[in-house]
Amino acid sequence: MVTTRNDSRLKKLTQVALGIVTSVGGFLEIGSITTAAQAGAAFGYQLVWSLLLGTVCVAFLVEMSGRFAACSTCTIPDAMRERFGINFFVIPLVVMLGVSLLVLAAEIGGTAAALELATGIALPVWAIPVALLAWGLLWRATFSVIENGVSLLGLVTIVFVVAAVKAHPDYGAAARGLVPTLPSTNKAHYWFVAVSVLGASISPYLYYFYSSGAVEEKWDASYVGVNRAIAAIGMSFGGFLSAAVLVLGAVLFHPFGKDIKDYHDLTQLVTPILGRPGFWLFVASLGIACLGATLEIALALAYLVAQGFGWNWGESLPPKKDARFSVTYTALIAVASLFTLVGLDPLKLTAISMALTAASLPVGVFPFLILMNDESYLGEHTNGRIGNAVVLGISAVAAVLAAVSIPLEVIGS
Amino acid sequence: MRIHLVSHVLDKQLVDRDGENAGRVDGIVLELRDDKPPLVTYLEVSPITLLSRFNRRLAEWYARKDRKFGEKRGVPFRIPWSRVTQHGPTLDLDLGVESTPINAFEDWLRVKIVERIPGS
Repeated sequence: MVTTRNDSRLKKLTQVALGIVTSVGGFLEIGSITTAAQAGAAFGYQLVWSLLLGTVCVAFLVEMSGRFAACSTCTIPDAMRERFGINFFVIPLVVMLGVSLLVLAAEIGGTAAALELATGIALPVWAIPVALLAWGLLWRATFSVIENGVSLLGLVTIVFVVAAVKAHPDYGAAARGLVPTLPSTNKAHYWFVAVSVLGASISPYLYYFYSSGAVEEKWDASYVGVNRAIAAIGMSFGGFLSAAVLVLGAVLFHPFGKDIKDYHDLTQLVTPILGRPGFWLFVASLGIACLGATLEIALALAYLVAQGFGWNWGESLPPKKDARFSVTYTALIAVASLFTLVGLDPLKLTAISMALTAASLPVGVFPFLILMNDESYLGEHTNGRIGNAVVLGISAVAAVLAAVSIPLEVIGS
Repeated sequence: MRIHLVSHVLDKQLVDRDGENAGRVDGIVLELRDDKPPLVTYLEVSPITLLSRFNRRLAEWYARKDRKFGEKRGVPFRIPWSRVTQHGPTLDLDLGVESTPINAFEDWLRVKIVERIPGS
């Protein structure tokens, strides 16, 4: 008895460590890198608060989705279809598919951009190889290989923290940025960038993916504590990575009035400080982070559809055991790669998709919160008031800001 | 045990006797009887039923297309209520999904596309 209890404790401790590593390694992607960099470049440290809000909200959401999966052994789409019926379920289904398809396209573009920076061969050429690589990994690898492998490699993104510290930022100014203030000029753009940062941090695919992972790994109610530790520590460290990118934008771009207009500009976040090795570490970070996100989004969307319609699903099953699920992610990757194939700028795609993510947050988050307060799924582990208030408040603010600032940004440009 | 048809049966995940996912409950069929309360007779698992919850004409259009694929197609597939038991978060079926048309599209995709790709 004693040994099994110790074994299970050790197993859970390993789970926590691994969970934190994967959260950190998987936190950054094209959205969080570019929006944080643009926020720093355009407004210095003034938008640190938007990163803080986004990170707090996503930490709560990830904790909730893991707790939901552990206590109910259902995934979120599963419960959403069952609890609200098909007539409601199609709304979040269609909205999430549409918005996340654009995010997927941006991630494929980001991976292709990294390959262009590394080889000098133009971005559109890489669309098909990147799509094939991502698809091949999903086709052949199991869930744990995808999640743990890509996230371990993703730890290379810590280079942003190293560079940010070496850049000697003004820590006092960064801390003052935690409190929202209005800029003296360029107000419309300020809110648009704030919204993009929120959208990039609170990606719905992230918590959908996390909940399906917990079900794939057969978590039960005894994992509530493990899950809380992973969400809190993993997401906080992840938020630090984004903050480091913002700091680099604030130090290297803002004082010189430089803007990040193009993905080539992104290399200047690290290269001036760490030199040639910095350039290569940046390219590796961008490529791995975006490839990892490509895999996660394609899977999250295939989970959403398969669970919503009651198909067989599971990344650890061979494709012939879940044909519809496998064909779904294959089709999504194929469609999303077309954006890069026709030469669409990944940065533009990112800006649009992050803002739309923020605008559409309530569609996924509100019904999710209803589920999180339903004792028939969670028993004694339903949400507390703080969790409800934080997630409801931040996602409502993000959506309202998005509804106001997206039209202004479109008119402005 | 009390069971609510809409919240506990409709749209719930179905699992066959081998543990395979067998779609979701797209519709519930009640039999109306003279001087007696209605009786649950079948569950329906079919895109036709699902579409009819949005729009009848859409469902009829789909049924017409579906009819071309075989004799028993074009009408919603029905499972007798007597072959269903509740089990945790799912409803269990006392039959194998391969004997039903529920996974017909899954099987078609597997044979025509997925198994032809290496590594499947």
